[in-house]
Amino acid sequence: MLRVSAVCEEAGIPAATLVSEGFIRQAAMTSVGLGLPGMPVALVPGHPDAQSPEELRSNILEVTTQKVIDCLLKTSALGEIDVEPAERDIVFSGGFDQVNDFFYDSDWTDGLPIVPPTRSKVESFLRWTERKPEDVIGIMLPDRRAATVWSIAVNGVMAGCRPEHMPVLVALVAAMVDPEYGVEHSGNTPGSETLIMLNGPITKQLGFNYTQGVMRDGFRANTAVGRFWRLYLKNVAGFILHKTDKATYGNTFRVVVGENEEVLRELGWPPLSADMGRRAGDNTVTIARYSGGNVIAGVAGSTAKAIMANLADAMIRQYSWQLCFFIGSGTGSLRPLLVLSPILAQTIARDGWTKDHIRQYLFEHSRMPAWKFERYLRDWMNKPLWNLAEQVKLGNIPALFHVSDDPERLVPPVFKPADFMILVTGDPMRTNAYVFAHNGRIGFPVCKPIALPANWDGLMASAPPKAG
Amino acid sequence: MDTKQSASDGYYEVLWPRSPRQTKKKTLARRLDTLKGKTIAQFWDFVFSGDKVHEALEFSLKERFPGVRFVSWKEFGNTHGQDERKILEELPARLKALGVDAAISGMGA
Repeated sequence: MLRVSAVCEEAGIPAATLVSEGFIRQAAMTSVGLGLPGMPVALVPGHPDAQSPEELRSNILEVTTQKVIDCLLKTSALGEIDVEPAERDIVFSGGFDQVNDFFYDSDWTDGLPIVPPTRSKVESFLRWTERKPEDVIGIMLPDRRAATVWSIAVNGVMAGCRPEHMPVLVALVAAMVDPEYGVEHSGNTPGSETLIMLNGPITKQLGFNYTQGVMRDGFRANTAVGRFWRLYLKNVAGFILHKTDKATYGNTFRVVVGENEEVLRELGWPPLSADMGRRAGDNTVTIARYSGGNVIAGVAGSTAKAIMANLADAMIRQYSWQLCFFIGSGTGSLRPLLVLSPILAQTIARDGWTKDHIRQYLFEHSRMPAWKFERYLRDWMNKPLWNLAEQVKLGNIPALFHVSDDPERLVPPVFKPADFMILVTGDPMRTNAYVFAHNGRIGFPVCKPIALPANWDGLMASAPPKAG
Repeated sequence: MDTKQSASDGYYEVLWPRSPRQTKKKTLARRLDTLKGKTIAQFWDFVFSGDKVHEALEFSLKERFPGVRFVSWKEFGNTHGQDERKILEELPARLKALGVDAAISGMGA
């Protein structure tokens, strides 16, 4: 809403932004990045969805109306944008504990101690990229800061990354700033967390875990790079808890998940990177944002169909509010992720199935009754415009959503089989799977190549021994 | 030298982990003298009862400012949806074409 108001103000049209009680501070912080610090907003008391229609109307008539009038008629002074250090400034000197206290008090950490980002440490990271430190990879809301290569190195050091992780970090930030991903939504209330999926020979070269316990912290590369993601979102994008990050609950960062390409090659299945439009064997990062998911433990079955029946059921159970919240909205923007352990993939492949067969099966069997789909969209999210029959008629959604008027007819959470994503990783010998509930345009999947410096092999050969 | 041993936990000269903001302070649009006879655009992100809020606001503003006219949120679509970037890009021209004098945008919740 603030972004709409900012565009209006710039176009010379005075605007009133309707903001409910719990979001006034976020609005104030976000307005700074829009260049309109302290832009006027109109208070909506309480939360609109927790009020009866009568209460809400009364609040709007008695409180919000006057605030709107004030916004549109009264001239108010904007606040100031704080003066900040220059990018390469030394901001503090002291011992390890003092540095950590200073960074914590400045709200630049995730709560854990950081590795002090000294110039020599940062320079050691910069040697692992051919990009110049001042290169700007993109500009990110809400703070509208420049995602520079220098700042990537600083936050990489802080996260506990090793210098050779730098090419992965640069690729991650390129993915983060991609408009398709939608980083500006990262402070929204579902508090969803990004999953970073890694492909290519770099997975093994840098010691990323791609087998048992792949989503658990414990491997330095997986953990430190995952931590970097959250630090960068905070320090450069500007998502700060109790200010611009409005996660109702939130999660800790997810560690990087490597795909098991050895098993994929054995099966003749393409890796995720190829599904995302890159060449099999390329070093890539793929990111997507998920509010949650579930491990599907003990998937029994010695045939593809037996396994997939269980997984299709597990998949659709992950979908409820995602269908209706903001940018899922039944508009075909969901990309559910199915994670298969190698042994499940091998058992499915034994029947001659490919990844496309799996996607087709999920599309046909991972469905819910039409009445339920509509209920999520219309009745439980105050979306008055929603009706499957009407949306089909308008050409907004595929015809398969209204093949009859039977409310029990089954409809999928996606528009086409290709929307399902598949990743093979985890304990090679355990028959468990994982399904992730995707959040639509609030973290849409994006894949970026990892650019290695020309002297990568030489650098790797001369890299100091790993400390962890 | 940015690191030296001065105490049991070392000595570090540390860098700023943020990066420069790429925005300069802008100015707000000139406020109106009255809403009488003006055209107000309604924007909605299709959640948090914004339709009901806009309806109530329209009612109360019409009572207080005769002749005030509204361009419905239906005209613009979901401003927080997958078309947000396109909607924002085209907005200045649309505001002009629709003769809009003021805007109300919701819902932040």
